[in-house]
Amino acid sequence: MARVKVSEYRAKRLLLGDSYTGVSVTKDTQFSVPQKGRYVVKVDQGIKKRFKQKLVVINIPASEIRKHIRAWSKKGFTRFLVEEYVEHSPQSEQYLSFDRIRTGVRVLFSTKGGIDIEESSASVQSFDIRGSEDSAYVSKKTLIPEQFVRTILSAFDAYHLAFLEINPLVVIGSKVWALDAALLVDDAGEQLVHGAWSEADYTESKKKHRREATVAELDKTTPASLKLTILNPHGSLFFLLSGGGGSITIGDHAVSKKAGSLIANYGEYSGGPTREETYLYAREIIGLMLSSKSKKRALVIAGGIANFTDVSTTFSGIIDALTERASDLAKANVKVFVRRGGPREAEGLLQMKQFLKHHRILGSISGSAARITDAVEKAIAYVTV
Amino acid sequence: MNILQKLRRGQDGIVVGGIHEPILQSIVDFDYLAGKKRPSIRAIVTGTRTAYKLFFGPSEVLIPCFSSIESIPASLRLDIAWFLSLESGRRACDSVTHFFEQVPHALGAHIFAENVPEVHATKLLQRFLKTYSIFGPSGVGFLVSGFLKLGAIGGVSLEQIHRSHITEKGSIAVCSTSGGMTNELIHAVSDSGRRVSFAACVGGDRFPVFSLTDAFTLAESDPNTDAVVYFGELGGDDEYEIITLIEEKRFTKPLVAYIAGVIDEAFEEHVQFGHAKALVRKNDESARAKRSALRDAGVHAPDTFSGFLKAIDELSVPRGNGKMKKKEMSTSRQKTILTTRKITGIGALPKLVSGKKITSHGGTLFVPALLEALLGRPPKSNVTVAYTDAVFRLLIDHGGHVSGAVNTMITARAGRDMATSLSAGLLTIGSRFGGAVNAAAGAWLSGVSRNISSADFVSEWGKRREPIPGIGHKKYRLGIPDPRVLALMEFKNVLKKHPHSDFAQSIEKITVRKKGTLILNIDGAISALFLDILSEKEGLTNAELQTLVRAEFFNAFFILPRSVGFVAHFLEQKKNDEGLFRLPDELLHETDTSSHSRIV
Repeated sequence: MARVKVSEYRAKRLLLGDSYTGVSVTKDTQFSVPQKGRYVVKVDQGIKKRFKQKLVVINIPASEIRKHIRAWSKKGFTRFLVEEYVEHSPQSEQYLSFDRIRTGVRVLFSTKGGIDIEESSASVQSFDIRGSEDSAYVSKKTLIPEQFVRTILSAFDAYHLAFLEINPLVVIGSKVWALDAALLVDDAGEQLVHGAWSEADYTESKKKHRREATVAELDKTTPASLKLTILNPHGSLFFLLSGGGGSITIGDHAVSKKAGSLIANYGEYSGGPTREETYLYAREIIGLMLSSKSKKRALVIAGGIANFTDVSTTFSGIIDALTERASDLAKANVKVFVRRGGPREAEGLLQMKQFLKHHRILGSISGSAARITDAVEKAIAYVTV
Repeated sequence: MNILQKLRRGQDGIVVGGIHEPILQSIVDFDYLAGKKRPSIRAIVTGTRTAYKLFFGPSEVLIPCFSSIESIPASLRLDIAWFLSLESGRRACDSVTHFFEQVPHALGAHIFAENVPEVHATKLLQRFLKTYSIFGPSGVGFLVSGFLKLGAIGGVSLEQIHRSHITEKGSIAVCSTSGGMTNELIHAVSDSGRRVSFAACVGGDRFPVFSLTDAFTLAESDPNTDAVVYFGELGGDDEYEIITLIEEKRFTKPLVAYIAGVIDEAFEEHVQFGHAKALVRKNDESARAKRSALRDAGVHAPDTFSGFLKAIDELSVPRGNGKMKKKEMSTSRQKTILTTRKITGIGALPKLVSGKKITSHGGTLFVPALLEALLGRPPKSNVTVAYTDAVFRLLIDHGGHVSGAVNTMITARAGRDMATSLSAGLLTIGSRFGGAVNAAAGAWLSGVSRNISSADFVSEWGKRREPIPGIGHKKYRLGIPDPRVLALMEFKNVLKKHPHSDFAQSIEKITVRKKGTLILNIDGAISALFLDILSEKEGLTNAELQTLVRAEFFNAFFILPRSVGFVAHFLEQKKNDEGLFRLPDELLHETDTSSHSRIV
């Protein structure tokens, strides 16, 4: 369904197998490395531009490993990687990436690797291949040993990998070192890789809000789709939107009306969630809204004209969630703005209208005859007056 | 010839993998409203049943179900052009591949599932891209107004199909990455007074098999399509395919496009939105970049959705004259919950008695043997044999509505075996259902042997506030006699005396004056005549008859033939297995426990 970043440790284990000697550690992990060696230690949480953020140290003695991990732990980081330091010259650093595309795999390669790849994009060669059957061709074009390329490309299909970037890559003779690797897997393949990677390997560069985490857990338990991303917990516009495309269109309208800074969250439910699932989803957004410090708050329950998601069923779930906090909502002077169409639209809208009126939190309500942006437009007017 | 031409020439047969009731029903509703003679869904592949019931207009049709594509008969396969996969994301690719291997003459498919692995999608692409039109993974499918509804596209309720006018041919093609917005655009087109020629939802996955290039090429080659409206999102670079097509003059028709996703700019880093592809990885994948690239290629790509709607309205495509010829369809339809066949017909009852002679010669081997088993000695008279034969024939079945048949069918649909299902039906037999034959025999015997007047007899039962067994019918009444009772009563003509039948009929004369439906029913008639025949033709004494009543002898003449009927209903369920039975919500009145637990 989506591409998800896994830890660098998992990426290298997948690609290099038992020959990979790196150690994945947390703050409290007991580990031992040969005292004589030189080491690289990094935060392994899928963060981009780690060098610039000083989340990587290289060429340090074993005795200093703990010190760096403790310091990063204090900043809230939890997952680290300890590897042997590979002595090499900056000139030997190369760039290699594989990206799954419609026709197979797109390979990007540059002999100028390292951290400045975006600036030296002119040196990047790009070519499309079918898959592991073209390993020899890739090897010929990049001078990277064929065995290494073949291993990666075989793993690409077998383990449902979507994107792999090795930067820098160092080749000395027949030996190849992947000094830094970023890997995105296709999360739809999780059940099919027999534990080669799992959800436990996913990295979060940003810490999830408690409510985001709750929704993400809920999303896993249903064939429907339930998404929540919090932008500004103290915003004024709270979105309880439906439909992947419709929700973006509604959000766009706020941005185009220069109300982007008022948006508290993005999210959507779709794919026909049950009443209970919709209830559990809606209560997170309502809870989020009630803890916002913004003085004027609006809840936008909006979406396109559903094909098969039942409006009455999903609205019943939303009403269940609103009922729990109805008096708090009225006290906080929250108004609810609705636009929705689809199966059993008339019943759903009527239920919602009666409920919102009864609790004196009705902002506006409209169905498929109104524009998709109707509710958000009126909500913006309400919170900006 | 492209898929649209083939479709418009009638290649609309669909086989569905999996079941999603509202989607299936909406496809058949679409067919009916579009004026088709039969549903486009020809078969369903599912392991749980052998038939699935759907409404085609006001009446129900049974769609045959098969456990695999292979088991669909060749003649039916020839009639199939499309596959609709409503299966899980993990299975979809395999089953679509399998479908095309088995039905190579097919035109295309739609994969509804959202979580199809990328590896699977690209495998489908590499194998089938050039041969078949595969819509998805994800999305809501493919619609050709008036001809094909392959998926949830255009809505699943009758009201939606009516309102969006998708059964009427049109001239604007709709293309969208989002399922919900496909429907929004279909409405926008019909609200502008135009109709949709076809609508293709390519879906929000990273690798749609039917690509934007395919959609725009199809629109270009379709003589019915005058313009295209497109909804796209941030993420991916598929929109650049459209620009290439325009630059290469392979797409020349007017195009209005909205690319959603400037909300991404409100976040600190790029956000993964609802659809798999909706994540900006490179600058040229942002909504703003794609809008401006489209504009540079001459496409009308407004910055706001209202601007987009206005642009649709302003397309130079003629509007309809507003006169809609539409088939009306009642939206309040009650779905039947069981399916069975008429087991026996009572319309054409044979003449049992002609003048003073029985027409049946009693020459069967089975009935005499059966009577011998029940009576303990061979029957003496052909009349007894002929009568038993007639009773058996009449009682084999009385339709699928009755309790015993319903119980048998429900048990069969729970997957139980014949003996279990039959037993479930038989266990229903008692004083309220079927068991009245013996009770009526007891009543008539008691009345005749005591020589009581019919008026006194009726008041006896009245005082006990009990209905007289053998009297009363739901459907038949005074003036509309039960033909079975009439046929049986002719046996009186071959008897010298018939006191029990006379008595029963004299009771009926009184009760019908109270209420027209209180007639002598089939149970009452069977038992009265049986008593007369057994005493005159078999020489049974009153005491012997009393013993038979106590032993419930007369109920055997219901239980035995009706077992045949139950078995027939059982076989029917196994043939058209509709899966486990569940009473629909609207047919069950559920009360709150609190409302009747008032204890004072």
